[in-house]
Amino acid sequence: VVSVFFIVGVIFVPVGVVSLLAARDVVEIIDRYDEACVPGNMTNNKLAYIQNETISKVCIRNLTITKAMKQPIFVYYELDNFYQNHRRYVKSRNDAQLRDRRKANQTSACEPEKTTANGQPIVPCGLIAWSLFNDTYSFTRGSENLTVDKKDISWKSDREHKFGKDVYPSNFQNGALKGGATLEPTIPLSEQEDLIVWMRTAALPTFRKLYGRIYFDLKVNDTITVRLNNNYNTYSFGGKKKLVLSTATWLGGKNDFLGFAYLIVGGLCIFLAFAFTLLYFIKPRLVTFNSSLLQSAWKVISCVLDIHVTF
Amino acid sequence: MSARIKEMVRVATARLGGEQAGAGGASSSSGFGRRESTARLGGAGTSFRRQPQPMAPTVRTVYCNDRDANAPVGYKGNSVSTTKYSILTFLPKGLFEQFRRVANLYFLMISILSTTPISPVHPVTNVVPLSLVLLVSLIKEAFEDWKRFQNDMSINNAHVDILQGQHWESTPWKRLQVGDIVRIKQDGYFPADLLFLSSTNPDGVCYIETANLDGETNLKIRKALEKTWDFVNPEKASGFKGEVQCEQPNNSLYTFTGNLIVDKQTIPLSPNQLLLRGCSLRNTVYIIGAVIFTGHETKVMMNSMNVPSKRSTLEKKLDKLILALFATLFSMCVIGAIGSGVFINEKYFYLGLRGHVEDQFNPKNRFVVTILTMFTLITLYSTIIPISLYVSIEMIKFIQCTQFINNDLHMYHAESDTPALARTSNLNEELGQVEYIFSDKTGTLTRNLMEFFKCSIGGEMYGTGITEIEKGGAERAGIKIDDDEGKRSASAVHEKGFNFDDARLMRGAWRNESNPEACKEFFRCLAICHTVLPEGEETLEKISYQAASPDEAALVAAAKNFGFFFYRRTPTTVMVRESHVERMGSIQDVPYEILNVLEFNSTRKRQSVVCRFPNGRLVLYCKGADNVVYERLADGNHDMKKTSREHLEQFGSAGLRTLCLAYRDLNREQYESWNEKFVQAKSSLRDRDKKLDEVAELIEKDLILIGCTAIEDKLQEGVPACIETLSAAGIKIWVLTGDKMETAINIAYGEASIYLDFLVNNDTKQFIISSETDAIRETEDRGDPVEIARVIKDSVKQSLKVFHEEARHSLISTPERNLALIIDGRCLMYALDPTLRVDLLGLSLICHSVVCCRVSPLQKAQVTSLVKKGARKITLSIGDGANDVSMIQAAHVGIGISGQEGMQAVMASDFAIAQFRFLTDLLLVHGRWSYLRLCKVITYFFYKNLTFTLTQFWFTFQTGFSGQRFYDDWFQSLYNVIFTALPVIIVGLFDKDVSASLSKRYPQLYKEGIRNSFFKWRVIAVWGFFAFYQSIVFFYFTAAASRHGHSSSGKILGLWDVSTMAFSCVVVTVNLRLLMACNSITRWHYISVAGSIVAWFVFIFIYSAIMTSFDRQENVYFVIYVLMSTFFFYLTILLVPIIALFGDLLYLSIQRWLFPYDYQIIQEQHRDEPHEYSRVQLPETSHLSPEEARSYMISMLPRESSKHTGFAFDSPGYESFFASQQGVGVPHKAWDVARRASMKQQKAGKS
Repeated sequence: VVSVFFIVGVIFVPVGVVSLLAARDVVEIIDRYDEACVPGNMTNNKLAYIQNETISKVCIRNLTITKAMKQPIFVYYELDNFYQNHRRYVKSRNDAQLRDRRKANQTSACEPEKTTANGQPIVPCGLIAWSLFNDTYSFTRGSENLTVDKKDISWKSDREHKFGKDVYPSNFQNGALKGGATLEPTIPLSEQEDLIVWMRTAALPTFRKLYGRIYFDLKVNDTITVRLNNNYNTYSFGGKKKLVLSTATWLGGKNDFLGFAYLIVGGLCIFLAFAFTLLYFIKPRLVTFNSSLLQSAWKVISCVLDIHVTF
Repeated sequence: MSARIKEMVRVATARLGGEQAGAGGASSSSGFGRRESTARLGGAGTSFRRQPQPMAPTVRTVYCNDRDANAPVGYKGNSVSTTKYSILTFLPKGLFEQFRRVANLYFLMISILSTTPISPVHPVTNVVPLSLVLLVSLIKEAFEDWKRFQNDMSINNAHVDILQGQHWESTPWKRLQVGDIVRIKQDGYFPADLLFLSSTNPDGVCYIETANLDGETNLKIRKALEKTWDFVNPEKASGFKGEVQCEQPNNSLYTFTGNLIVDKQTIPLSPNQLLLRGCSLRNTVYIIGAVIFTGHETKVMMNSMNVPSKRSTLEKKLDKLILALFATLFSMCVIGAIGSGVFINEKYFYLGLRGHVEDQFNPKNRFVVTILTMFTLITLYSTIIPISLYVSIEMIKFIQCTQFINNDLHMYHAESDTPALARTSNLNEELGQVEYIFSDKTGTLTRNLMEFFKCSIGGEMYGTGITEIEKGGAERAGIKIDDDEGKRSASAVHEKGFNFDDARLMRGAWRNESNPEACKEFFRCLAICHTVLPEGEETLEKISYQAASPDEAALVAAAKNFGFFFYRRTPTTVMVRESHVERMGSIQDVPYEILNVLEFNSTRKRQSVVCRFPNGRLVLYCKGADNVVYERLADGNHDMKKTSREHLEQFGSAGLRTLCLAYRDLNREQYESWNEKFVQAKSSLRDRDKKLDEVAELIEKDLILIGCTAIEDKLQEGVPACIETLSAAGIKIWVLTGDKMETAINIAYGEASIYLDFLVNNDTKQFIISSETDAIRETEDRGDPVEIARVIKDSVKQSLKVFHEEARHSLISTPERNLALIIDGRCLMYALDPTLRVDLLGLSLICHSVVCCRVSPLQKAQVTSLVKKGARKITLSIGDGANDVSMIQAAHVGIGISGQEGMQAVMASDFAIAQFRFLTDLLLVHGRWSYLRLCKVITYFFYKNLTFTLTQFWFTFQTGFSGQRFYDDWFQSLYNVIFTALPVIIVGLFDKDVSASLSKRYPQLYKEGIRNSFFKWRVIAVWGFFAFYQSIVFFYFTAAASRHGHSSSGKILGLWDVSTMAFSCVVVTVNLRLLMACNSITRWHYISVAGSIVAWFVFIFIYSAIMTSFDRQENVYFVIYVLMSTFFFYLTILLVPIIALFGDLLYLSIQRWLFPYDYQIIQEQHRDEPHEYSRVQLPETSHLSPEEARSYMISMLPRESSKHTGFAFDSPGYESFFASQQGVGVPHKAWDVARRASMKQQKAGKS
């Protein structure tokens, strides 16, 4: 047992250190903008603000870089209290339709966004596509335009196999209620990467999704200006919206958690290994088998309890 | 009808009856008494299928050799079918059987539920495991039924000669009809119940073997009616026209009443003319018979009832666990459902909840949402009930039985070629928890090798030998006894059944004794009053006696040695070669005419013979149990009665079995008048037995006591050591000795204390409750039965109270002192009275050992169920005779000794072993291991399903209680049946904490089973806690992936990536956790655990690479490859299982270090012995240590092929006989071996 603990400890501590170091290298800038982008006069009625199409949703945010960020810098949006994993939501899509042009009519699971009012199938159908996130971001550093590269933000397997190259959006967002972004009908689904990213539903109600990458190095105290279109309605359900700029290491994003977990477990194991070794010297294991003692003890107990008899 | 025929019939019947006393009397008591007893006991969960016994036409009329005449009645054909299903009914009936199991039914409902839209999972999730489980079960059923069908077919198509016109024609059995005349050749089996018409033997007798019915291997004689002797050849037989009127088909093997009407004469029929299906013909060229009962109406088939199935206590507790799981499931669902009702809200616009929304998610009706979500969640969490648990347990137990218990060479009795045999496979683990053993004495603890040891004639005691028990007692008392064989007197004779040392009686020396006349009567009684058949050459040396019980043989052998050599029996006479009667050295052959035989049975407890001396003297000789004989003695001669009774007690206390002999002279008129009544009773159709008993009472009175005999019953090999070991294991052994039915040997009361001497070592405090006290005797002399009952009851009550107090005092003041309770059958009868039961139980539970003597089979069962039900302890009954059947069936576990008293006990038992001492191996090794393994399997199943389901549960909180599934459908459906199925079965088969030898060396380890240490709620709670802990780790640690972790290219993982990762962690952890729980890790463990994990990865690699064209969500498409492109995945899959197992590891090490189980201590002590428990142990090699090589070699020797085996009662035997004949490949049944053992004995006896 001691050796097991020890071995686990010995392996885990270095792994923990390495991953913690990796996580420490990651620079992450988070900016919550849903509150701030509401005009001052409408803070009490955010819903009206977001639903009023006449009000400009453009919002300017300034971010200060606290630590130098090496390219590529990943741009994420983070939503909160958004149940992409709700049963009604998860199933509201049709993979066959997304993949195959000929199956445009297959909208079986897509309730309630199956067809338009006159029965035309919606492509892509379903709640997931319908509620596509539609805030947009553009970044400038001074006068320098930091272009956001939106290529290859989705998993290759999704792009190539789940979304057809010849499937084009049709009847999308034509209903009375608009859930979110519209899609350019001339671009095939396999190239609508925002949609593809969105449709890989998240596991938890708080999630990030990749928006794009910026191939510029950012230095400490750089100030970048974000010009964003605050279109997406999270106000009705009280969700937060955040913009996240992050670098990545081999391990991925900022993930102290894993490193700490490794360190703690490893440390605990080493500690226990020592503790057990110590225990071994202080209190050696019971090696005498005192059966007669047990026996008589058992007898007395059974007598004292005076076995209850039931018929 | 001539008187001569009557006489012959009577004698032959008597002979048959005598043999029935051996098996028949006993077995009828087992057949009926068993029924009765269980019924009265309220049945240990057993219910017998009562055969329909049509009341309407009480008489069955069969016209022999006349198919047309029988046709209107429409008797059933002779084809039998023992299959459960036919091709058409197999699926519906088989499925119905399966769905009678609650777990299967539950999953069926879940499957139906999962086809509805409220289900979060695809139907496949539940249908796949359910159908796999059903498939396995159905295949098993079909396979078994197919074997049965094949055997039925081969039986039905066996050929028999049937009379067609003037010649024999070979016809399949199934074509046989009631009334047909058939010819059976030597060694052939009777195809139906036949009326015996004629045989090639003179005197119209034939010999049959009934081994298939009752296990008796001695031959029985059947005798045809003289009227029908002539119909031997087909020409004659074709002219036979008879009408048989007999009872309707019933299941009583030993009764048959009917009349044969031939040529307008009515001749009574008895069982003696009935040849039962399943018996075989011996020593006879052929016989002719008329078919009376066919097919399912034969007595054998009507007897083939199923052994009532017992369920182990562990399984009952398992039911409770399942109930607890249901409760957990329900509360989880309630929490989730309420959550969903609260959560659902239109504000989540992205859920599209405005307008028309289905009920399940309609925020306007939260109550309906709650209710529907309840069902949704039940479907989602259905995995909490381990569907494959029951199937796995069944498989494990089955393999344990067939591979381990039946093949254990430690339990293989080489001398009789008998291995242990598990007849039921569902009680293995019960063997590991036995606390009370109820043992029969004769044949179980003792060898049932009877030797005539002492006797008392006319108040004089003869025989100087000292019994083993006396020796033991004397040695303990410090007296040294010279046990030198060489010093034995020259007069000592020791042969089979005779071990007597007293010159005063040998070689005619008895003539010089004070009472030579008494001696003469004594010897004559021994030589005449019995039902023994002599076999072999008629010389002193070569003759062998065929007796129903060894007691009888011993008595006849004794007579032989005293100079009264019984050498021949004809239907009417007994030939005795008497020496030294007229004068010293004279030898003369004396024929005694046997007029009547009053058979032995268990109620009479005596046997009498009326014989006529050549000089015309009419004498009734009687032998029987002392109390029975004493009741019927003539007045006077008190001194002799008194001394004889003292002698009886002395014999008893020396552990000898006693029997009283008496005689009575009859005068002619007296006899004639009585004989008339006797003949009348004998030919009555109704209540014949009862009437015969009544008639017997008329003549068995005013007897004159001759003396008594004492027979030693030798202890079985290894019994004391075995009992010592079992006591050390915390098992309490009760000895329940009964009157031995066969010879009404009266177990003397004092004998009990003798057995206690080795039951409990020294310094035993005995509490004796006896009906042989002076006060009771006095009352008895007054003879008022009500008064007697009252006195006995009072005294029993009094002593119970007093002893209870004393016992408790003694227990507290001197706990190391052993306490023993001895009670006799008569007192027990009163003590078992509902008002006294509690006292009896209280007292006997404190006592370390209990001996009940002179108990009836019913009382044996009552005592067993007293402890079983009253104290809720796990009981085991072990016995070898038919009188133990009720006890064997009443106990939790019944063990039959496949010994010399036939197969009755074995057939009723759950396990059969050859020797009492094998109980050590059966309980301490196999029972303990089975218990340990089963506990492990069950708790592990509980844990793995709980862990799995709880991760789902945590996820539910994150999905707005919508009931979204966390795992893909196929993950969930294959989790139980593929990814975690095999290792646990391996553990159930191979796990052993300590080796077999250590198990026996430290019997104390067994106490863990008695205390049920491994399946307590506490143990389950610990597993439950870790399941809880682990599931939290699984869910939250992997969920962290989605929040912060992403690939180095910045891409984010989705729901299915996370769930696949979590599932991988669960599979890895759960499999590794099993390894941690193992005591011994063999390569099978590694293979199965690694195999399961690999199976998962192989599955996910393939599964996520394919894309189907079906209209389904491709959730997990490419997931694993996406995951594997991130470092995060590898780190998680390393981290999460270790963190999950960390808690368990910590718990296990602390538990082992500071609060070790006994077995862990033993493990520690013997950890340096390399080949003890860490060795790879396979079934083929596990039991083979060098010292066993010899017995292994023996067992590997080619065994003689079984010539005939079982036929009825029990389907295995039934199958194998014909299978072997027809060359149908039926797997070798251990049952055959047991049977072969009995065959062997028979051969040995003959040679």
